[in-house]
Amino acid sequence: MNMGGPSSHRRKELTRVAQRRLTRELAEWSVKTPPVPGMSVSETDRVDEWLVTVTGAAGSVYENEQYILRFVFPADYPMEAPEVVFLQPTPRHPHVYSNGHICLNVLYDGWSPALTVTSVCLSIVSMLSSATKKGVPPDNDTYIRNCQGRSPKQTRWMFHDDHV
Amino acid sequence: MKLTINKVRLVAAWTWDAGDDACGICRNAFDGCCPDCNIPGDACPLVWGNCKHPFHLHCISKWIGAQSSEQQKCPMCRQDWKFEARK
Repeated sequence: MNMGGPSSHRRKELTRVAQRRLTRELAEWSVKTPPVPGMSVSETDRVDEWLVTVTGAAGSVYENEQYILRFVFPADYPMEAPEVVFLQPTPRHPHVYSNGHICLNVLYDGWSPALTVTSVCLSIVSMLSSATKKGVPPDNDTYIRNCQGRSPKQTRWMFHDDHV
Repeated sequence: MKLTINKVRLVAAWTWDAGDDACGICRNAFDGCCPDCNIPGDACPLVWGNCKHPFHLHCISKWIGAQSSEQQKCPMCRQDWKFEARK
């Protein structure tokens, strides 16, 4: 399985603040499982890595389709955004590159420490819902050739297209 | 009737004037402290932005301090962050 490429932040230990926040967020998922219908979280053997299954919204072209997002949390989460990618098979969407990288500003420049795993998942499902037909981004091949397995957080994203 | 009070024991409770909510950054309750502190109260105060959103001082300082000056926005509403003057 293509794991979406290595992350540059994966080996640093989480700060106490990050650990506490993630514990709280995880507790939220287990108390009201799931906080959003069609979403579920599976823990990995790493505290700083979650796999979240999301389901395409009713009425969208991804209705009932399930996709897996991998969250890798930096040491100083939530001051820094998590790295979020789709694992294979990825949804075919104009803002999702076929290596799983997602062009969505809240994951990069638009990150705020008030965002959570839940709110990021909601943004991604909402982004999927806005597509009227499936298809990869027009520059998919160029992008994948250029990023050579780097983290999407190292890409300089241009958010020129608010509409799909 | 005349009473003589020999001894009183006063007990007071306090709370921040920030509702029953939790800090949007660390998600700890406002009546608790930020994850870097152990004792709630003056040692770990709350601050408000001009947008009226409260945070633990330690949490918002960490976030604002890491942003360039034109990027200093409230994490909740993304308005320009200014510390509100309160007495």
